Amino acid sequence: MREIVLSVEQLTVYRETYAAVQDVSFSLESGIDTAIVGPNGAGKSTLVQAILGILPRQSGDVFILGQPLSCRGSLAPAIRQQIAYLPQNFLFDRRIPMTVEELVGLGWDKLGFQLPWKDHRKRRHAIREALVRVDAAHLMHKMISGLSGGETKRVLLAYCLVRPRRLLILDEAPAGLDVRGESEFYQLLYQLKREQGWAILQISHDLDMVRRHCDRVICLNRTLLCQGTPEVALSSDNLSAAYGSEFVRYRHRH
Amino acid sequence: MTELTRIIELFQLPFMQRALLGGILTGLMGGMLGSFTILRQLSFFSDALGHSALLGISIGLLIGINPSVVLLPFAVCFALGVTYLLERTRLWTDALLNIIYSSSLAIAVIVLSFVGQYKGGLNNLLFGDILAVRELDLVFSGLLLIACTVFIGLTLRTQMLLTLHEPLAIARGVSVSAQRTAFIVLLSLVVGISIKAIGVLLVSAFVVIPACAARLLSRTFTNYVVLSAGLGALSAVAGMLISAAFNLPSGPSIVATQLVIFLTTMALPQLRALGHG
Repeated sequence: MREIVLSVEQLTVYRETYAAVQDVSFSLESGIDTAIVGPNGAGKSTLVQAILGILPRQSGDVFILGQPLSCRGSLAPAIRQQIAYLPQNFLFDRRIPMTVEELVGLGWDKLGFQLPWKDHRKRRHAIREALVRVDAAHLMHKMISGLSGGETKRVLLAYCLVRPRRLLILDEAPAGLDVRGESEFYQLLYQLKREQGWAILQISHDLDMVRRHCDRVICLNRTLLCQGTPEVALSSDNLSAAYGSEFVRYRHRH
Repeated sequence: MTELTRIIELFQLPFMQRALLGGILTGLMGGMLGSFTILRQLSFFSDALGHSALLGISIGLLIGINPSVVLLPFAVCFALGVTYLLERTRLWTDALLNIIYSSSLAIAVIVLSFVGQYKGGLNNLLFGDILAVRELDLVFSGLLLIACTVFIGLTLRTQMLLTLHEPLAIARGVSVSAQRTAFIVLLSLVVGISIKAIGVLLVSAFVVIPACAARLLSRTFTNYVVLSAGLGALSAVAGMLISAAFNLPSGPSIVATQLVIFLTTMALPQLRALGHG
């Protein structure tokens, strides 16, 4: 039996005055890739950010690897180390001087009080290994401001895998890439998933990709509309409930 | 030669030595915290804090407490108050800071009109007097430098991630508000302690200019922070020497030196290109 990596119970999150996510419950097992789908404004990013403790929740519980996420969003540091998160748009100030090596290294660090030179060799070795695995070793000394969109995504994957993780949370991770870049990104992601045994929770707008790759789908439109295998959750009836009947007719025509 | 002897003799005087050491300590602290301040777009915060400090000083004078004693608690309260306001209101940071500092300045001038003629003179408040730095000031500055180094040193990676991408840092369990408050408090202490030497008008230069020069020279974040602190100290030493050599006001001489260093770093790529050409 697979271990439960993430368990969300009756989660409700408010954005200003309205419930952006209401009474959502689901769980995620190790090695399983789950996609969250739904129209714009359905609360997908809100859900993910509440699971990570970035947004406060109104009610409900979140358990990651059996440990509760506190109401203020704090989680035992040892559990935090097991999660990696890639935001929808990794927008940063390009004037910040930072190399790829430094960015990937931040994924390795435990981010408490620590001497900057602690475990220097081990850290450097882990950074190099991670960059080799995403085929970006040649970028190690490059400044992150000079990376292309595809290179940035690969470097961010190295940031995720520089330490062993159990849960990867992606918010439309390939956003901003062209068709080829997106396909390369998913190829690399699923290769790494097989190697690392990651459980993945990802927000996606690409229903064809979800159908091809994901094990489970959660349909969300503020409340949880349905969940199950892609065949079940992405059936015409369920899609029509999530996106509206117009959308389903459009998809059938194309 | 006689000029050099005169400068050497000048730096044998205890008040000049204290001024030099005070300048170095301020340069190191300002440069170190300044490197994060400019990336987090808080440069205007240090400027506003400097200007508003005049209010703290004038209140001190009105109630008969030494301005140096009032400055640090005032700076910390001001910083915490501004941080609270910035988090609570939906206004733009620079607009809000402008409201706060111009009104503080206005109230300070009104309060000063009740105090009558301040014997230290308004000039010293505005531009500082690094030659009046006492041993106790140096002890405070030294302790604050240690506090800044320990804080930045031990949380360097957290500060880096927080500066680069806040949501990524929160997802890793970093408490943004705690880190932000700690940084702002340290920055306000550095600005507060530097005002006596450099004055309310020039204090933000110590935070902003060396950091900008270091940014132009750096490829890695760690080098950038170290270089920023180094350039802060270097400009203090060079500025004090120039001030002694040409008998110029000390604080402004240091700031002018910082500007020269900054302009040089801006021109370096062109100079290198010329050299290769």
